[in-house]
Amino acid sequence: MVYFIVKRLVQSAFVMLAVAFLAFSLFRFVGDPITQMTGVETSVADQERLREDLGLNDPYALQFARFTGDMLKGDFGFSYRTRQPVAEMIATRIPATLELGIVALLISLLVGIPAGVYTALRPRGIATQAILMVTLVGVSIPTFVIGIMLIFFFGVQLGWLPTFGRGGTVRLGGWETSFLTVDGWRALILPAFTLGVYQLTLTMRLVRAEMMEVMRSDYIRFATARGVPMNRLYFKHALANTMVPVITIIGLQFGGVIAFSIVTESVFQWPGMGLLFLESIRFVDIPVMGVYLVVIAFFFVLVNLIVDMLYVVIDPRLRIRDVS
Amino acid sequence: MSRTLRKSILLGGVISMTALGVQAESFHWASTTDPQTMDPHAVNSAPVLSFLNNVYEGLVRRGQDMAIEPSLATSWEPMVGDNGWRFNLRQDVTFQDGAAFTAEDVMFSYQRASNEAADVRSWFSPVSEVRVVDDFTIDFVTSAPNPLFPSSIANFMILDKDWATANDATLPARDAENFATMNVNGTGPFTLSSRDPGVKTVLAPHAAWWDTAQHNVTEATFTPIGNSATGLAALLSGEIDFIQPIPLQDVAQVESRDGFKVLEGEETRVIMFGFGHEHDTLLYSSDVTDANPFADPRVRLAAAHAIDLASIDRVLFRGKIEGASQLVPANISGYSDANADRPAYDPEMAKSLLAEAGYADGFSFGLKCPNDRYINDEALCRAAASMFAAVGLDADLSTGPVRDYWPQLREDDFDMYLLGWSPGSFDMEHPIRFLMHSQDDEKKLGSWNFGNYSNARVDELLPLIQQEIDADARQAMVDEVVSITQDEVAYIPLYTQPLIWAAKDNIDLTQRSDNFFMLRWVTVNEAN
Amino acid sequence: MLAFIKRYEGLWLFSRSPAVILAAIMAFGIILGAILAPWIAPINPYDLASFSLMDGLLPPVWDEFGSEKFLLGTDDQGRDMISSILYGARLSLIIGISAMTIATVLGVGLGLAAGYFGGRFDAIVMRIADIQLALPAILTALLIDGIARGILPPEMQQNLRVTVLIIAIALSLWVNFARTARASTFVQMNKEYVQAALIQGQHPLRVMFVHILPNILGPLLVIMTVDLASAILLEATLSFLGIGLPADSPSLGTLIRIGMQFLLSGEWWILWIPTLFLVALVVSINVLGDFLRDVFNPRLR
Repeated sequence: MVYFIVKRLVQSAFVMLAVAFLAFSLFRFVGDPITQMTGVETSVADQERLREDLGLNDPYALQFARFTGDMLKGDFGFSYRTRQPVAEMIATRIPATLELGIVALLISLLVGIPAGVYTALRPRGIATQAILMVTLVGVSIPTFVIGIMLIFFFGVQLGWLPTFGRGGTVRLGGWETSFLTVDGWRALILPAFTLGVYQLTLTMRLVRAEMMEVMRSDYIRFATARGVPMNRLYFKHALANTMVPVITIIGLQFGGVIAFSIVTESVFQWPGMGLLFLESIRFVDIPVMGVYLVVIAFFFVLVNLIVDMLYVVIDPRLRIRDVS
Repeated sequence: MSRTLRKSILLGGVISMTALGVQAESFHWASTTDPQTMDPHAVNSAPVLSFLNNVYEGLVRRGQDMAIEPSLATSWEPMVGDNGWRFNLRQDVTFQDGAAFTAEDVMFSYQRASNEAADVRSWFSPVSEVRVVDDFTIDFVTSAPNPLFPSSIANFMILDKDWATANDATLPARDAENFATMNVNGTGPFTLSSRDPGVKTVLAPHAAWWDTAQHNVTEATFTPIGNSATGLAALLSGEIDFIQPIPLQDVAQVESRDGFKVLEGEETRVIMFGFGHEHDTLLYSSDVTDANPFADPRVRLAAAHAIDLASIDRVLFRGKIEGASQLVPANISGYSDANADRPAYDPEMAKSLLAEAGYADGFSFGLKCPNDRYINDEALCRAAASMFAAVGLDADLSTGPVRDYWPQLREDDFDMYLLGWSPGSFDMEHPIRFLMHSQDDEKKLGSWNFGNYSNARVDELLPLIQQEIDADARQAMVDEVVSITQDEVAYIPLYTQPLIWAAKDNIDLTQRSDNFFMLRWVTVNEAN
Repeated sequence: MLAFIKRYEGLWLFSRSPAVILAAIMAFGIILGAILAPWIAPINPYDLASFSLMDGLLPPVWDEFGSEKFLLGTDDQGRDMISSILYGARLSLIIGISAMTIATVLGVGLGLAAGYFGGRFDAIVMRIADIQLALPAILTALLIDGIARGILPPEMQQNLRVTVLIIAIALSLWVNFARTARASTFVQMNKEYVQAALIQGQHPLRVMFVHILPNILGPLLVIMTVDLASAILLEATLSFLGIGLPADSPSLGTLIRIGMQFLLSGEWWILWIPTLFLVALVVSINVLGDFLRDVFNPRLR
């Protein structure tokens, strides 16, 4: 196990380096930071001087070396747009995104797994057909349309929930949380639902497929024949056997949640990393984009590591392969 | 702005003065972009200057009708025996930290704002020397007579020398942030209580402000909301009191609801098409590869006649735009009344002009447009492309965000392009200097004249216009420039961009045509 | 063909479910409309001279201000909605199917191989997948767009946006397939039938594609159908974020993005008609996908 973890950590370092490299290569294609940093009246000579000062005229390899070198030293640089330290900017935005993502993921799992089990056990039921249909329509409408519709229905027409932002937050050390106030929770509902609905459908359909497969497998049939109680059968034996793909999906969904949080945060003006990233693209704020990607890569690596370790815990048969 | 609205603003002013100090009024507003810094000299961009005008002040300022009026200077006059201006400063003005305001602060702010690290330094290119005469008198010496100078520095904001020095912010932040990026100390009506960049910025009134407060705001909260539908929802749900701007197509929706109002006006920005005058050949043509038809003024005029502005107004802009004949709207000084006609929509004329120029069958070319810069910019270009196609001008349209668009224009990568221009100095001289004078990096002229339109007479007239003190003589020269550029179709001016704000009914405020929002004119009335 | 039908007798189930029949008719109708768009659409939305701003914002024919010339109304440019939707469905299907096919081939191939060989190969594939996952689709699209613009001459770039989108979407989807295929392969590798095939010394490719692949198709088919839908939606989302197709080449996603501006302004048809179409298309694809999964996996019947 220790060997496994160490090996994965070494690999993870390479993943992060590769992400940094890819990220850095694409910045050249996003646009020109100088025209976004200066006003219309700024002379061409002044623009050139700024470009020189920021090192944007240096050879590409040198710029990348400087970027990774500084980052390894813990120096994340300063934003072109606001001149603030990037580390601080990202750090203040992490709680908003993580809390939104966690709640969305919880909605997806807490609703998706039972719904998947139910629809697998009663494949011909009316409720099953209804659930499948509604979720299908739900995932067929683009996220941004759903978000805006929810805002106008629950925020404007009914006036029940806030239309933007995080509402009341409480600062716990360096972490600004929505979880401790009623306002914070109210503000979380719509964005978390918007973000979770797609993942929910995916979870449900995957659990359903796996469950149906398992239910037909020989050992469940034997168990049925032996007279094991149905409830025990469904939830202990059958569900446990669907766990490997479900855990895979949680790992995948974390990716989906982070990627789609960009859209959700933009629609709900949710002050998380995704919104910051979008603004940074608009202003070609290269240092912020770079650090954002490396931080995201770090989260992915971490989650994947945990998922892989869970595989080993849940299904001991996999352990043999990994060690060999 | 409607007459009743103007009246209600005046009335609001009166009410607020009597009610001041009696009720606590918090005010929430939103706009699309967060000011990227609190440093008044670091970035010359509208979101920053508009926001900081609530906190910092200049020697002069603009009133509700955009006219220049005294601010930190009580009066100014041309210097005797030298080119330049003498400013007499207001006494008994204090900064928000309590320090007194003197000529040393103006001198310091000048040095800071004209430094290489400042983005606003181009305002001071005519200035050769600044001299402190006494504590409340300062001279700005210019290298040539400069009648426009006082009105060109309305956004030059003064900060406290001792505060900046003590906090190590003597220069605008270049790489790393400094104290002035996140903190303020101005003389203006509001001061910063908290700032969370990109999320929320809170302002509170400056109790010792030298001027009489016409507002009744006790706390003002600004939130940037990038998505226009979300911003509108925030207004309609009552979470914010005011938003600038709202999309044109939603005006009817807001007006139809009880408790909300729409403020409509015209910005000073004129939207226009420009050409690659200087190119030898078209860059994006599939049929004409050995010539540049746009070098021929008849072809440019044909393009102008192809545009059906009335339909654009009716369908895309819901009847809210005013056609433009020149690069500034009529409310800008120097506007040429003598040249107020714009080419009519006349597709037959366009076709015959093309035939005359030898392109009876038309030709294809590349049209570049931004898609996130001006109101309906992409839709406008698609409509124009369709109108060009109707006379045989086959536009290959390519649109993109400004972050990518400006570099393409700078690299000369277009046959025709879309541009909007708002004269920063509110005078016709501004577009002549930036858009009509030939490109001249040395003299910093024509820097946004991407197609390098060039006319020797225009180049000759610009310095004369800049120095002419006599208003009539100056206007005659401006008229000549406008007439030349219209005859040669240097650009196709299309229309003045509309300005659409929305607020709750109980909010009185002033919409200024530079799209700056001034908290000092806000009155929050009792909600019905 | 006969052998195929014989093997998957479940195809006969087709006639027993009205939902499946309905979905098949809808999907078939939309796909047929998309294929035949150039012949049946009243106008060509790519031909700028075929429509005029003067016809802009007309409501559908049943509205009192509607015109018989434009049965479903027009958008803000005067483009006929029916034509836009037919051409839009065509473009969306091209993008969705191409992206999904590339993603499936790439993802399943790599996932199977990773699960089969394990060890170092598995580690490398999975780390590449991690890198891919860490780059949001919006960035992948920006990257590929940028590279294409850097490499290709300007006159080729105009027509390139579709290809760029297909590759970007495929790249952001293949990981789903790879990871699911890999996890399922791990499980299958321990089953007796695979062990038996291995002991017999069968070629790895044969073991992978003949023995393992059919047994992991269930979850893969679910992902395929969901991903075809999400490929179409992802294109719309990329447009919303400003890096999709230009507004003058309408896909269903672009039409919805444009229609969003008219959500509140009264011109409901510009948003809701394309949205309705997209939902109908995606739902019927998913229903058919479910049905196919049942067919391919007879044990589930």
